[in-house]
Amino acid sequence: MKRSEIKNLIISSLDANSASDEITRRLEDEGISYDFSEGFSGRVIERILALAPTVSRELEFVRNLSSAFYRIALTGVAAIVILIISIYLMEGSISLDSFLGLGDISDESIICLLTGN
Amino acid sequence: MKESYSKAEENDLIRASLAGDKLAFGEIVNRYRKMVARTVKGMLGDSVFAEDIGQEVFIKLYNSLSEFRGESKLATYIQKIAVNLTLNEIKRRKRSLSMFSHKGDDEIYEYEVADHEDEKRRDAKEMVNKALMNLDPKFRIVVIMRMLQGYSTKETAEMLELPLGTVLSRLSRAQEQLKEILGKL
Repeated sequence: MKRSEIKNLIISSLDANSASDEITRRLEDEGISYDFSEGFSGRVIERILALAPTVSRELEFVRNLSSAFYRIALTGVAAIVILIISIYLMEGSISLDSFLGLGDISDESIICLLTGN
Repeated sequence: MKESYSKAEENDLIRASLAGDKLAFGEIVNRYRKMVARTVKGMLGDSVFAEDIGQEVFIKLYNSLSEFRGESKLATYIQKIAVNLTLNEIKRRKRSLSMFSHKGDDEIYEYEVADHEDEKRRDAKEMVNKALMNLDPKFRIVVIMRMLQGYSTKETAEMLELPLGTVLSRLSRAQEQLKEILGKL
């Protein structure tokens, strides 16, 4: 096909009602075709395989983090419960003063402690 | 079955790929590589950068294959990924060009036409590449969908997620520009 014929084919492929698939085939016959280089599929798979361990490592980290969070949270809750029970047993009540360790100290003795008089 | 995926149904290939079978995914790549190459190389030029973007298209497909519901054809799904990645790459290049240099748009592209093609075929391909690169990307993409992919105007509109009227007006303007460009080549 002459150069001018190829140009006309290109122009006519853009007509709204042209059979563009037929034109595409004819252009391909004239060497206007595209492909990636040899071994393209292999390189894609290699890159996917190289990415896979990173992704699974990230997933593993997130999974470990969430299980560690539950363990830490449960331990914390248990410690708080034990603390409350022990305060109740020692002080006989659960008030702010007993939490602060001021259950059996009177106001005067605190003033004495702070001022030294 | 594993060794002969060349005749396998698309759904079987997708299922096997999701199960981690790389051979099955390799077959998907082989089936659609030319289609992706037409979009990516048509838009970015026949360069090594286009190869990278082509690989990105299939990697993105692999990572999002579980989200593919089969409501559209796999070809349409892949084509949309290719269009999006290519247009993003053009935007990225324009941004970096405007920041770091004053090079013209066509200076970015390199043409590598395979040695085995005879001179006449090489000339024809070079002419098409040069004509495409002289078009604005928004016109170039509709030309590629029609001229290189062979889609109808309706399919082009669907693929690019544009109204049909927009596609038709862009095609008409691209046609005018191509007449002028090809007249000089």
